[in-house]
Amino acid sequence: MDFLLAILNGFAALAQPDILLYMVAGFLVGMFFGAVPGLTSVLAIALLLPLTYSLDITAALVACASIFMAGMCSGSITATTINIPGAPSSMMTALEGYPMQQRGEGAKALGHAAIASMIGGSVGALALMFVAPLSAEVALLVRTPGKFSLIFFALVVIIISQQKSISKGVITTTIGLMVATIGIDVMQPVARFTFGTGILVQGIDMMSLIIGAFAISELLIQANRRLNRTVDLDQVDASPIRRRDFIPPLSEIREIGAYRYLKAAVIGYVIGILPGAGGSMAAFVSYSEAMRSSKHPERYGKGTPEGIAAAESANNSMCGGAFVPMLAFGIPGDPTTAIILGVLIINGLQPGPQFMENQLELLFPMFASLFISALILVPLSFYLLGPYFLRMVSVRRDVLYSSIAVVALVGAYAATFSIFQMVMALIFGVVAYFLRRQQYPTICLLLGFYLGPSLEKYCRRSLQISDGSPMIFLTSLDSLFFLALTAVFFYFLVIRKPKPNPQS
Amino acid sequence: MTLRETRIGDGRLLVPVFLLIATTIYLIDAIQLAPPIQNGVLTASFFPVVISTIMYVALLCVLWDIARVPKEAAGSSTEKVDQPLGPLWITLLTGAYIFTFSTIGYFLPTFFYVFLMTILFGKGLEGLLFKAAASLIITAAGFLLFGLAFQVRLPTLWSM
Repeated sequence: MDFLLAILNGFAALAQPDILLYMVAGFLVGMFFGAVPGLTSVLAIALLLPLTYSLDITAALVACASIFMAGMCSGSITATTINIPGAPSSMMTALEGYPMQQRGEGAKALGHAAIASMIGGSVGALALMFVAPLSAEVALLVRTPGKFSLIFFALVVIIISQQKSISKGVITTTIGLMVATIGIDVMQPVARFTFGTGILVQGIDMMSLIIGAFAISELLIQANRRLNRTVDLDQVDASPIRRRDFIPPLSEIREIGAYRYLKAAVIGYVIGILPGAGGSMAAFVSYSEAMRSSKHPERYGKGTPEGIAAAESANNSMCGGAFVPMLAFGIPGDPTTAIILGVLIINGLQPGPQFMENQLELLFPMFASLFISALILVPLSFYLLGPYFLRMVSVRRDVLYSSIAVVALVGAYAATFSIFQMVMALIFGVVAYFLRRQQYPTICLLLGFYLGPSLEKYCRRSLQISDGSPMIFLTSLDSLFFLALTAVFFYFLVIRKPKPNPQS
Repeated sequence: MTLRETRIGDGRLLVPVFLLIATTIYLIDAIQLAPPIQNGVLTASFFPVVISTIMYVALLCVLWDIARVPKEAAGSSTEKVDQPLGPLWITLLTGAYIFTFSTIGYFLPTFFYVFLMTILFGKGLEGLLFKAAASLIITAAGFLLFGLAFQVRLPTLWSM
């Protein structure tokens, strides 16, 4: 009964005008950042992060959830119309949407994307509402050695899911772990790696790392290009979309079928639960499965609504799944939830089973925002704004990136009132720039930084309990379970690498 | 060009070599804290020593990959580069902005920072009037957002 009451109160919170305003504003911001090539919803939330110091926590979480949902689906707009995915999660949508655009069915493709995003996002949000409290119960069963092995599992999965180079993933994760050790030791009152300076005793602020790694590094990457606009105006004028063509025929929706929409949503949700997996993996796996099980696999890659439905339903459902490990264990499911975790920490809230038991009333407005964004805002915004979106995302780069720079740097100052943290943001930005240029995955850096202190704390505590014997990680059932899971994932994703899609 | 010369000019070495040096400094500082295990108890240096070891192994793997695969065949970042010095200018400009932000305050440094950023990101010195107007608007918008909406006390001249 309490649980149902909490859900209802969560929806009721959205009825307050200021909270509703934050949800809609967050959705529009997320839509813009998700649609513009080169920007992401991760960057949007990273820029929002310093502002959350001054915001009510409910408003901040509601805005984050709507940015997340919007960012995941809006990448399909430019993916379909000009074959440039606005977000990494829309790459599979581009494979099907752009051929449809080329034969004059661009609006219909976007309509399919909106419907699939609506279904997937709603299913994911509902599943989150019911699964999240259960995951708290499961989290309570995990003991200290199990917590170490769980974090170890999370880091391994994050590294191997990067696919391009495991060594590079290990390197950036380890950089994050090293940066996290600067300051006071997790278990003893000993200052580490301060090099005699008093200012490093407080450690490195998460804000500088996030602003530097995502915002500043993006500016530096974009500084390599000399383009006037984010999307060429010629492409905008060559791709007109008419609103009346937006709603797909019911026969096509029936042909895709409820089963396919739900299957894609479930795939996306489950992949979202895996640490570090993200929307692009959800879309890829769902798309591959849809092609494998389709009656007409030969249509894939040539513009089939089935492919769009599979990809978009999965990547939006992933949003719900990604919150599960973040809230239950403090382990982010994807880059966006990693930064939302930062929002919670800044406001003095530590995710975990106690948090889930005692602070559900804080979380349900966020879950409700995720649901309403998917069910109502996604289709509404696509229908209302879809025809104008290409013009809206064709922005002068000089104005866009200088605005981002000001928000990022002044935001870093506003959050900490520290010039030192602004300097650290710049340093991390430069480091992340060089890492990105050489294709080192920077998300691993952030997750290594977040999870490092907990990894060290649980490791040392476990070895203290067992008087130094590492066998405790094998004799504790929960730890053995997660280590076995790590081995299984490593075997299937690294040793027996998935075969590349022959059509790609 | 000899193999040695090719390798020295290989930009892919920049990150691993830098990290090798940084990790060595890190490890030396860690060992100076305390032995990793003392009287059967794990000390503050245990975890840093472990992750330094992992870092060395990973760096060796990357260096081995670089040695095996020539730069031309490596297929590095797919990002097109029109302005190789662009990031350097942005970094220097941002550093100067942070310094002047702390000494002069928010308004003037932000205006000039944004103005120079629009020149670096845009088509050089074309449309200076528009860029100046945009800089003014962005500076004002930043003050409205942080100073007024979020009540953040931004630095001003002689306030620090």
